[in-house]
Amino acid sequence: MENPYVELNFRPNVQLVSVVRRFVSEFYQRFIGDADGTSRVALATHELLENAVKYSMDGETTIRIEVLQQETPRRVRIWLRNRAEPQHIAAIREIVDGVSKAEDAFAFYQALIVRKARRKDGSGLGLARICAEGEMKISYTVEDDVVMIDALTVIGDKP
Amino acid sequence: MSEIVTVNGDDFAGAAHHEGATITAWLKGNADYAALDAVEMLLTRAHAEATRLGANEMVIDLRQLEFMNSSCFKCFLSWITDIQELATDQQYRVKFLSNPKLHWQKRSLHSLRCFAVELITVTEQ
Repeated sequence: MENPYVELNFRPNVQLVSVVRRFVSEFYQRFIGDADGTSRVALATHELLENAVKYSMDGETTIRIEVLQQETPRRVRIWLRNRAEPQHIAAIREIVDGVSKAEDAFAFYQALIVRKARRKDGSGLGLARICAEGEMKISYTVEDDVVMIDALTVIGDKP
Repeated sequence: MSEIVTVNGDDFAGAAHHEGATITAWLKGNADYAALDAVEMLLTRAHAEATRLGANEMVIDLRQLEFMNSSCFKCFLSWITDIQELATDQQYRVKFLSNPKLHWQKRSLHSLRCFAVELITVTEQ
């Protein structure tokens, strides 16, 4: 059986991010059948798209969310592509490299929470939250000003 | 029961009120980027009133809050930091009411509680 997926190529705005999150929640609840897994995928989708809205150079973003249901255990993959300013790419590198090197994603997130609690400009927590609360492994590739983020998580069996 | 603040957006609403020295607040809907200013205002005004009244506890009802993004989550962190920075005898405890069907709440409130375990309790209802 083919893997079920949704792929959107669009120019999101703040209002659309929540529309997409709700759509993803409803769509994937059918295929994932794991309410907690669906919630984690929805959270990651929202945070990734909001980052794209705030930091994309031209606002255009492609997002693909796929259930890798042939794998054991099943996994969900979120892939996001957009053009970004160098300082945003540097911020992605800092967080993703940091959490990848950390032995414990949740401990990394807690340390970041302490550092960012007084920050005025944005939260700076979104990517680490995806890893810690969303239990996702994030990686990225950069080609010129195009950044591609790959987020993977294990989901439970259908009830 | 006296109203402290009410905030309303297209997809988000919240309010805080007090009865004696007990403050209760609720948030419902979608706390995304569009709700950021409203969440910040709600917590700032509720905190100011809690400090003025010498409150012992603030109850925050999230049971109808569908989602909270990381920017709004950070508003909660800033508010908790404000409480931690009060003199010990002026600090008040925070009790969150959460909805077990909204799975993000369990994870995010656990993160928040780890930040200030001495101040925060979470009750699922």
